[in-house]
Amino acid sequence: MKYDETEIVVRFQEVDEWGIAWHGHYVGWFEVGRMELLRKFDLLPRQFTEMGYIAPVVNLKCDFKEPARSGDHIVIRVTVLKPEKAALTFCFEIYRKEDQNLLAKGETTQVLMTTDGKLLYFLPDEIKNKIDSMIQYLNEP
Amino acid sequence: MNEIINDKAQLALFLKELIIRTLRLEEIAPQDIDDSAPLFKEGLGLDSLDALELVVALEKNFKIIIPDEHVGREAFASVNALVDYVQRESATKVSG
Repeated sequence: MKYDETEIVVRFQEVDEWGIAWHGHYVGWFEVGRMELLRKFDLLPRQFTEMGYIAPVVNLKCDFKEPARSGDHIVIRVTVLKPEKAALTFCFEIYRKEDQNLLAKGETTQVLMTTDGKLLYFLPDEIKNKIDSMIQYLNEP
Repeated sequence: MNEIINDKAQLALFLKELIIRTLRLEEIAPQDIDDSAPLFKEGLGLDSLDALELVVALEKNFKIIIPDEHVGREAFASVNALVDYVQRESATKVSG
């Protein structure tokens, strides 16, 4: 499956006193990549809310491979797994652009709830159709 | 499958094995699961993702649907509650 890619530069305030990116920022970078993918399919958080849903993250994994440093150009790659249940799982990889080294890889899983807090057991058609389009886009050569 | 569905004890065992297999609860044996204990939170400690996996497993194995969380709260209250739900829904399907 193809990944959607977003580039950012690691900022000075994102590194710790050892000069490497603080581990929590990788989660924020995953979010940057995911938002750019969701934006293409009208699935931004505001648009979820307008449809009457929210999609809280219930699971997060991240493996750290190499540290990012201030000024590094990094590429956030994101893809989505075909849903087998009423949950959305996004997979991420973060590379340093200069040497193409893998810095981190991870995964997030979101469930869907109504805005009044009820867990959905099935993906609504309006969301399933958009996810199907996203998968089709990611499968294009 | 109908034989299992009609026998409460057999169905309870089948459902416990299904829960263990579906949720990969490798350290739990069917006899460790109390038939009347809650499946979520204080009982087996299952969470929202587990509920979604069980919904899919029940649909595959019994062709029955738990449509939403409101129904799920009743069906997933315990193994006993799930046995009752599967028996009731299977009977409705046959007669309906």
